[in-house]
Amino acid sequence: MSDAARAGSSTGTLLVSLFFIVAGIVTLYDTTTYTDVDSKVFPRAAAILLILAATISLVTDLVRGARESGFGNGDWWRRLLLVGAMLACCLAMPLTGFLPAAAIAFLGALVAAMHERWTARHVLIYGVSGAVLMGGFYALFRYGLNVPLP
Amino acid sequence: MNRRTALKHAIAATALSLCAASGPSSAAELSGPVNYVIPFGPGGESDISARFQQPFFKKMFDQDMVISYQPGGGGAVGWASLNGLEADGQTIMGINLPHIVIQPAQKEVGYTTEGINAFHFFHYTPDAIVVQADSPYMTLADLVADATENPGQVTLSGSGKATANHLAQIKFDKLAGVKTTYVPFKGTGAAVTALLGGQVKGAWGYTTVGAAQGEAVRMLAVAMQERHPLFPDVPTFIELGYDMVGGAYRGIALPDSAADDVVTMWSDMISQINADEEFRQQMLDNGFAMLDVDAAGMDAFMAERTEEYLSDAREAGLIE
Amino acid sequence: MEAGSFLAALTPLNLLLALAGVAAGTLIGSIPGLTATMAVAVLVPITFTMEPASALILLGAIYTGAIYGGAYAAILLNTPGTPSAIATTFDGYPMAQRGDGDLAVALACFASVTGGLVGALALLFLAPPLSRVALAFGPVEYFWLAIFGLSLIAALSSGALWKGLAGGAFGLILSSVGVAEVSADIRLTFGSQTMIGGFGVVGALIGLYCVPVLIDLVAVPERHLKIADEIDTMPIGRAARLVLGSKVNVLRSSVIGTLVGILPGAGGSVAGLVAYSEAKRNAGPEQRFGQGEPDGIIATESANNATVGGGFIPTLVLGIPGTPPDAVILGALLVQGVRTGPALFESGGGSIAYTFIYGLLIATVLMLPVGLLIGRYAYRSIVTIPKAMLVPGVAFMTVIGTFAIHNSVSDVTLMILLGVFGWVVGRFGFSASPIVLGLILGPIAEQGFVQGWIIGSAMEDLPGMFFGRPLSLAIIAFTLMSLCWPMVAARRQARATP
Repeated sequence: MSDAARAGSSTGTLLVSLFFIVAGIVTLYDTTTYTDVDSKVFPRAAAILLILAATISLVTDLVRGARESGFGNGDWWRRLLLVGAMLACCLAMPLTGFLPAAAIAFLGALVAAMHERWTARHVLIYGVSGAVLMGGFYALFRYGLNVPLP
Repeated sequence: MNRRTALKHAIAATALSLCAASGPSSAAELSGPVNYVIPFGPGGESDISARFQQPFFKKMFDQDMVISYQPGGGGAVGWASLNGLEADGQTIMGINLPHIVIQPAQKEVGYTTEGINAFHFFHYTPDAIVVQADSPYMTLADLVADATENPGQVTLSGSGKATANHLAQIKFDKLAGVKTTYVPFKGTGAAVTALLGGQVKGAWGYTTVGAAQGEAVRMLAVAMQERHPLFPDVPTFIELGYDMVGGAYRGIALPDSAADDVVTMWSDMISQINADEEFRQQMLDNGFAMLDVDAAGMDAFMAERTEEYLSDAREAGLIE
Repeated sequence: MEAGSFLAALTPLNLLLALAGVAAGTLIGSIPGLTATMAVAVLVPITFTMEPASALILLGAIYTGAIYGGAYAAILLNTPGTPSAIATTFDGYPMAQRGDGDLAVALACFASVTGGLVGALALLFLAPPLSRVALAFGPVEYFWLAIFGLSLIAALSSGALWKGLAGGAFGLILSSVGVAEVSADIRLTFGSQTMIGGFGVVGALIGLYCVPVLIDLVAVPERHLKIADEIDTMPIGRAARLVLGSKVNVLRSSVIGTLVGILPGAGGSVAGLVAYSEAKRNAGPEQRFGQGEPDGIIATESANNATVGGGFIPTLVLGIPGTPPDAVILGALLVQGVRTGPALFESGGGSIAYTFIYGLLIATVLMLPVGLLIGRYAYRSIVTIPKAMLVPGVAFMTVIGTFAIHNSVSDVTLMILLGVFGWVVGRFGFSASPIVLGLILGPIAEQGFVQGWIIGSAMEDLPGMFFGRPLSLAIIAFTLMSLCWPMVAARRQARATP
């Protein structure tokens, strides 16, 4: 691993471990607000274990040198598009109903995953199969399983 | 009567019936399968009583009743989402007392007791103390004696905290002047398993437990006005000198924005199921006790229960 | 057991129900987000018009098919289709990545069928005595069982022990979010209403396993899984030979699965985990668990299908559901007027129970051809579909599947956010399994601990409560063994190599 990559992944490990440690501290703090003694024991024990384990793993990583880790190569815009499309679907669902929102997610994921060049044939095949897939599952869930999709 | 009057009558009758048919759709109707949301996991008393209603609903109103589960927070998750559901009358939700009174009084749960648009309470499961069939406690007096001699050592399982079982345990402890230890379990099933396994000395459950477990358990007393028809040998708390009547009440609610005629329609439909002899018999055979509180009597019923539960909970130290 | 019941199970209607049920169940279980519980719950009303035995056969067939079906997504997409298949991802996905996905699917089928048969046979012959096991497990035993499960997480994260423990601890904390079961406090919601229900296991499952896979799939143009040279024939012969050669593993895992299934509230995920770790502990020196070892899949899949039969034992004998689908089935039985209890197994009222058990056995046997057939098509489609169809399709199914759990959009949002989180931490060595297992085991551990504490304090014998019970001691012994074994094995290996 190059030095830059190693430094990058060390920072990453540091940040993730720090996140866990902070999560443990937040949990400990939250337990002070509970009224019943019974509800404090378990989260406290888990939080202490978390802080301990995260600290130790952080130390061992820094000392031993982080292994192959880090975000690797790969196109960032595709990843962001995928996640963004799915989140947009969630935001849109109360407004537009299920199918339009799901279509947003589907299209976003489609563009994100498409590494080949777009041709008319692709558009046709993917478009039709996508519509069939979504329509089919929608019908299955709505009418077969009686799930009230918006 | 002569022809003219007959004609007038006929015209009047026709006009009247036309008005009735085309007037404001005062009779609300179902437009498809209904969604009956149970705010607990499957297998509990709420689920079972809903399952009993399901075939009668289909038979009487020719629509499917789809039961779905939304467990979490002891019912709080479901009730907090109730008023956000579609109010067209196609979705209803099961509700439970004392939960919907005690939970909002204790903490911020996302709903209020007043905000629950209940339209029917159709049964309750009376509290009962249940012990194993081979338990040394033959009568309630035995249990009380043990609790008096060994304060805190009589362990009784029950479903959840700040629930009907828990309230019953606190109330009885006060009435009998003893100290027992309540062990909360997740649901009646787990509480009964603990009882059968001998993990605890007894259980605060319901008459339904006695019905389901049959010979494996013995009920020491039931919290009813009169003995349950299924258990003629089990005395009531009142007979034994403890003024305790109650249990967990279960009913159904609509989102609060539902139209009045929708509420009335549902209230009538559930009342109709509740009046069916076969349905009543099935419920009784499984240990339930029937109740008929419909939309008309709802306000009075809820006011009474709310006051009762809040004062019980306050005395028990569950709320301020 | 009467010949009459057996023949009743063989009627054309019942056979058809068994077949249809297994097929439908397999398909449902393979879709992440759709659980066996959901499938069974939806189909209960249909059963009201059927004979009780036929209804049971249909529901039981769906249940067992769904538990098997969860393996498809676990193997091919690193996403357990149901929580029972979590441990199948450990070796299933690595096998798929090196081109042996078809072998893995076939192995899963054989293992599921044998495990299911063992569970159903236990139900047939040993139900009343085995139900005592369900009762012998008290709160303290459940607590130690959960601790055992957590120690397995640590032991399985060989080389990244502390990261595994951190993940597990984080999962424990996630399980505390929402209303506490043991008291009435609301924990870690920070005032948010949506968090009152806490993190659902299925949503977290999909988020933590599936979303990271999707995020990585879109980033690079390479195919998802290597296409083996011949994908038209399933390596059925090879799979059968492997299973026959692992008889000890199969039997041990099936027994573990049956026993765990008997314990109400434990579930297929715990069964798979315990069976996997036992198989790993007894592994030969040349086996590489965690890198695509067939015995890993054999262990988990036989264990989780054995929980189906095992779970019916307390359900039918005691009226206490062994697993969530059992609770739904119990409700359906009550409506039909069927009384559970030991009387169900005696000859008079026995015909329904025995017809059902025979039907379950038949359905499990039918799962072999049905499962292999469906598995072949599942494998083929996932492997040959271009990424541009696979990713959007799976993304869509995760959305609809997660939504369908509680009809809630916020569940879907949570799932996606958890997924991004899982991807980020996964990149730095914190894998998803410890977190999910912590989420599953957390409530079991907490309730067991608090209840044990209350009872122990009431008895004024806390140490005796936690450390004095024979079953607990046995579990504690296993826990210590599983924690120490990796070190012993490493030392032994170091000594062996000069």
